[in-house]
Amino acid sequence: MGGLCSEGRIATPRRSPGVPLTRITGTLLLTAFLVLALVFAVQGAFQTRARIADTFDRQSQIQAAQLELEELLRLQIDEENSLRGYALTHDPFYVGRYRASTQDFDTKESAIRTMLVSQSPPHGLALLALLDEYDRIQVEWRRDIAVPVLAHPNQPLSEFERRTDKAFSDYETRTVAQLRDQLAGVNADLARSTQTQLDRTSYVRAFWLLVFGLLAIIFNAYSSRLGRELEQERTTTEVLQRAFLSEAMPLPNAEIGAAYQSGSELAVGGDVFDVYRLSDDLALLLIADVSGKGVDAAVLTAFIKFTIRGIALRRRDPGAILAEFNTAFAQTVENPYLFVSMFVAIVNTRNFHVRYASAGHDSAFVRRSHEVQQLAVTGPVLGVMEEPFETKQINLNAGDVLVLATDGLTEARDRSGKMVGEEGAIALIAQADPAPQRLVDELVAKVKAIGGNRLRDDLALLALRPTSVGIGFDDA
Amino acid sequence: MRSARWLALGAAFALYLSAAPAAQADCNLRTHQHVVLYSSTEDPDVLLWDSRFRLRAYHAATFDEAQELVRHARLAPGGTHAVVESCVPDFVDSPLFERPADAVGVLIVSGKYSGQRGWVLGPDVRP
Repeated sequence: MGGLCSEGRIATPRRSPGVPLTRITGTLLLTAFLVLALVFAVQGAFQTRARIADTFDRQSQIQAAQLELEELLRLQIDEENSLRGYALTHDPFYVGRYRASTQDFDTKESAIRTMLVSQSPPHGLALLALLDEYDRIQVEWRRDIAVPVLAHPNQPLSEFERRTDKAFSDYETRTVAQLRDQLAGVNADLARSTQTQLDRTSYVRAFWLLVFGLLAIIFNAYSSRLGRELEQERTTTEVLQRAFLSEAMPLPNAEIGAAYQSGSELAVGGDVFDVYRLSDDLALLLIADVSGKGVDAAVLTAFIKFTIRGIALRRRDPGAILAEFNTAFAQTVENPYLFVSMFVAIVNTRNFHVRYASAGHDSAFVRRSHEVQQLAVTGPVLGVMEEPFETKQINLNAGDVLVLATDGLTEARDRSGKMVGEEGAIALIAQADPAPQRLVDELVAKVKAIGGNRLRDDLALLALRPTSVGIGFDDA
Repeated sequence: MRSARWLALGAAFALYLSAAPAAQADCNLRTHQHVVLYSSTEDPDVLLWDSRFRLRAYHAATFDEAQELVRHARLAPGGTHAVVESCVPDFVDSPLFERPADAVGVLIVSGKYSGQRGWVLGPDVRP
């Protein structure tokens, strides 16, 4: 919010970009933090889940390998016992069992190898090295012990061969024991790893909960602060409007009706009207619509109201009033994107000759009986270019109603988006009660009903109806 | 003062008594105890070693080394009777055992090696 500059220029209409930008940046940053935190949390959860699934998979393979290893040892013993049986009995049945055990041993060994290959180093490599050793010894046993026995069953093993056979057996048993220990160790490591990952997941979950909680608290605090600031701004603006804007002074020989409705709960608009008695016989009627909303617009409407009053006290020609205001507006308001549509009328309250000028403000109507006439625009909107404004005159009879509105009437839309338009506004005015206050209240109610019980834009309405029309002299 | 000295001596003696049986407790065999040799592995025959150090080396050796070492052992059939002559606790370390095994000095009293002495692995000796 600003005020009058020391050089006499109004700075407020050029909205300072810092305040809203800070709000937007803050909100965006907090939202970005929340989204990022959410993305990291979700990604982390998926990664942890994948790691735990992988560990479980490896663990189940190790457990399967443990079972297969016991089976492998059984097959090795089968092989050796079959050979011993054959050496003792020379029964070919044992040769068959020996060959079946040999085949099964090789198949089982290959299956275990496949399981161990999928284990990551260094566990996988160490296990494979032991399995290789086991396999090598078994092959050597077949070559050095089994093949000679099968070839010469009648020739008993020598003392040295029997000791070697024992050494084979002991060494294989030892290798299997080492493999068993290693597998148990890997299994325990994987179980520990799973537990660690589960623990870490709990800590990470707690961490993200903390982050989300903190962000939610910050977000809430920030949102409350924004709400407070907006409420403060709205209150300030309303106070300003109440202090400066839109008042309908009673006029002799006439009834006045006025209404002002803001289209937003959070920001006040830039509509303004004024009924001001300039002398015993003359009154100023003003209605204007400033582009923009909020405190800036409210300040500008106050500026409009008092500047027009000041000019009108000196000059009685509405066209000249608008032209002078246009110059003052261009010199005072810094913001090049602000413009104002305005209707100014000087009303003789004896004969109700109304002299008016319209700066791009087309929502001005005269209702005679049930016929409604739209008053023509006599110049461009203010703040755009320095053009002369033509002054026109209409004469009101008793019962005629002069209705002035802002674009909240003609640009009102129904839920499907269809606009009321000028013809719709004319129809609404024609159907309304002729008493000025009831007329404007009725128009407000209908515009609200069209918009689904709410206003999309600000709406200012001013109606004037002569109660008695006499003879008077126009005072130029 | 005198009673404190007696108390200290008593505590030291109690400590000695509690420590001494623990050192012997690992060998569950007595000297002159009659035992049967039967291997704890899948082959019941038992290797009878000429030196307890070779016994220990055999259980820590690679297969090629083990093949060389068995030249210094005799293979007593499972079920051979023997008499314990000595025992060295926790002398042999092997992945086969959860804890180190004893080395037991025996005199063979049956079979073709009867009268011969040698070292066997503790788990291969059955009381």
